[in-house]
Amino acid sequence: MKQLHTFDEVFDSQKVFRHLLEAMANPGRRCDIRSQSEKLFGDDPDMLAVAMTLLDAGVSFCAPQNPALTEQIVLLTHAKSVPLEQADYVFLSAQDQLPGMLASAKRGTLENPHTSATLIVKVPEGQAGEQVLLSGPGVDGLAAAVVPSDVKQAVALRDRQDYEYPQGIDFIFLLPESELLCIPRLVRMEEC
Amino acid sequence: MMDKYNYAFLDEGSKREIRRSVLKAVAIPGYQVPFGSRELPIGRGWGTGGIQLTLSLIGPEDTLKVIDQGSDESVNAVNIKKFVKMCTGVPCTTRTQEATIIQTRHRIPEVPMTNGQILVLQVPLPEPLRIVEPQEAVTKKMHAESDYAPIWLQLYESLIKYGKVTISAEYPCLVEDRYIMNPSPIPKFDNSKLHDAECLYLFGAGREKKIYAIPPHTKVVSLAFDDVPFEKESFRGKKCRLCGSTDTYLDEIFDSATGERYYQCSDTSYCKEVRSK
Repeated sequence: MKQLHTFDEVFDSQKVFRHLLEAMANPGRRCDIRSQSEKLFGDDPDMLAVAMTLLDAGVSFCAPQNPALTEQIVLLTHAKSVPLEQADYVFLSAQDQLPGMLASAKRGTLENPHTSATLIVKVPEGQAGEQVLLSGPGVDGLAAAVVPSDVKQAVALRDRQDYEYPQGIDFIFLLPESELLCIPRLVRMEEC
Repeated sequence: MMDKYNYAFLDEGSKREIRRSVLKAVAIPGYQVPFGSRELPIGRGWGTGGIQLTLSLIGPEDTLKVIDQGSDESVNAVNIKKFVKMCTGVPCTTRTQEATIIQTRHRIPEVPMTNGQILVLQVPLPEPLRIVEPQEAVTKKMHAESDYAPIWLQLYESLIKYGKVTISAEYPCLVEDRYIMNPSPIPKFDNSKLHDAECLYLFGAGREKKIYAIPPHTKVVSLAFDDVPFEKESFRGKKCRLCGSTDTYLDEIFDSATGERYYQCSDTSYCKEVRSK
């Protein structure tokens, strides 16, 4: 029987999770997951690696306008594919979908902010890097970073939602070269 | 390594749920994320929250250190180390600098931790407001509304009654100006190590089914009044009887036969290291 992928549910998941944790705890830091995601096939191996690490039948997801990815995630993780408004994890392949997504995605409640959505956004290749300043938990003071323009725009769009903290949305960006970059809800990004 | 169980004992579904909760906890510093605490071959209240975190984090490339009240050799620490080693095969160490994951109860090591390290704290009572409000639904609402007046009142009453705030361990702190958090039963001496740290702190309460976190470089302020600043334990005039350190957290040991009081470092590996120099 042909095996679809060689991603190890135990050890590769653990490694991807540690990279996710490192990236989430140190916003702006890029963490390489290539050696794990290359074990998965299809157009979005990085997204599948994150899905394999975090998703199962206990949570829901939405991959708008990406039926192939939706099918793969359901097949591999048994997570429920639901409308955007109900999704715990949103997998976004095209940045132009973001404004609508941010307005509709779950932001959690003041009592249960952990029920918010996590947005996993794929950043296409060939984008110029923009110098920004990051601040907030996980960042040492005001730290300079270079991020693709999509990341900068996405964070600016999120800021315009004016979430009342602790409500909010956490970003996991998947950069070309299979790198993870996280911008959790409390982290602010400014022009350099 | 024992291969009759899954790697790191927990099934992958349990690990995934804990991992999801950990990421949320890091994104919302100080907020207690509920999780489905699993059964372990150890009673709840004996460090199951910390163990579940460690088992969900750990991989073959890690090096583990476990301490209990600062000691690498206490019963709780030794048994947790044995258990994790048995089901993962990871190397264990007593040197803080060598460990990638440190599980601890009641202390933060004296050696400053670095950015690549994770400190997992075992937490008996994660809710700092429990002492002023018994109902979980009410404390959830109080956190949501930042209604922290009762805990301030408790500090004030302590001040009025005894002339100082008498909380010695589990001293509440405010995280990122938003959540009041219980730093677990670490002594007040260790509270300052939480602020603007290099490492990641993860807190696991198995019995109470809560996970919370403090990412590196997070603002953590111990509660205090403007005119009554926060004070940690003072060991002025005392030193460790073994290594002579004067800047560490010291345990007091009373010899009932002679009536003498001794002091020695609570962090045993640090004390040994100083002595070996």
